[in-house]
Amino acid sequence: MWLCSCAKPLTLQLQSRPPSSIHSHVRRVTVTTSTLSLRPSSTHVFTHNVHFQPKLKRASTTIRCSSALTPQLKSTLDKVITTNKVVLFMKGTKDFPQCGFSNTVVQILKSLNVPFEAIDILENDMLRQALKEYSSWPTFPQLYIEGEFFGGCDITVEAYQNGQLQELLEKAVLS
Amino acid sequence: MGVTKEQVESSLKAKLSPSHLEVSDTSGGCGASFVVEIVSEQFDGKRLLERHRMVNAALEEEMKEIHALSIKKTLTPEQWKQQQEFNQSNSAA
Repeated sequence: MWLCSCAKPLTLQLQSRPPSSIHSHVRRVTVTTSTLSLRPSSTHVFTHNVHFQPKLKRASTTIRCSSALTPQLKSTLDKVITTNKVVLFMKGTKDFPQCGFSNTVVQILKSLNVPFEAIDILENDMLRQALKEYSSWPTFPQLYIEGEFFGGCDITVEAYQNGQLQELLEKAVLS
Repeated sequence: MGVTKEQVESSLKAKLSPSHLEVSDTSGGCGASFVVEIVSEQFDGKRLLERHRMVNAALEEEMKEIHALSIKKTLTPEQWKQQQEFNQSNSAA
């Protein structure tokens, strides 16, 4: 099936991805998180990841058991998933998904005309690690509907095929 | 590096005692991508999300090296039987 052929389109997309999309995406996420977060330092975590990353990598190799999910990040995530009815944590952006599984879920949501917030976890490794704990889910994409973890790609596909996803999203959008 | 199909199978067998199990390595040899179909009594009364969580938990160690795990089916023996019968009657028709 096409959703499994992740590797080849990935390289193509990486090469053809215009640099401007990265910036516009970062800006978009910044707006989202800064409007949601109470403390300005939460925004910091999302936007200045380029500067934080080397430091984080060292920390994660020395203190393996330490949690990436800080209380501050947890409360930011709580706000992100409750303020937006549909949130997709994915690899890449809506327009440039970087993985076949993320792409599958984006296409499903787009086909259902559901407004959704997409957050690129490749932009921030700390967020990526923290979300695995936050959702108790080891992989991406991760779909949240009305503040609740709905599932990854397989669950979303199955629920789309049997109509449960449409039903749930309809309720979510109308509520 | 990588995980073998056998490792995935033995972890799933040990933790979920499946009555039917099909694991395929879709990585093309590097052992980083698998597709799983599993039938187990332990799924009884569990929602799809919980079932997937159980499979993920059973493969916790392996997941560190697996990049893509596609869980195609998580069924109870009863559901599996129904599906088999449905498929048979469909192919006979």
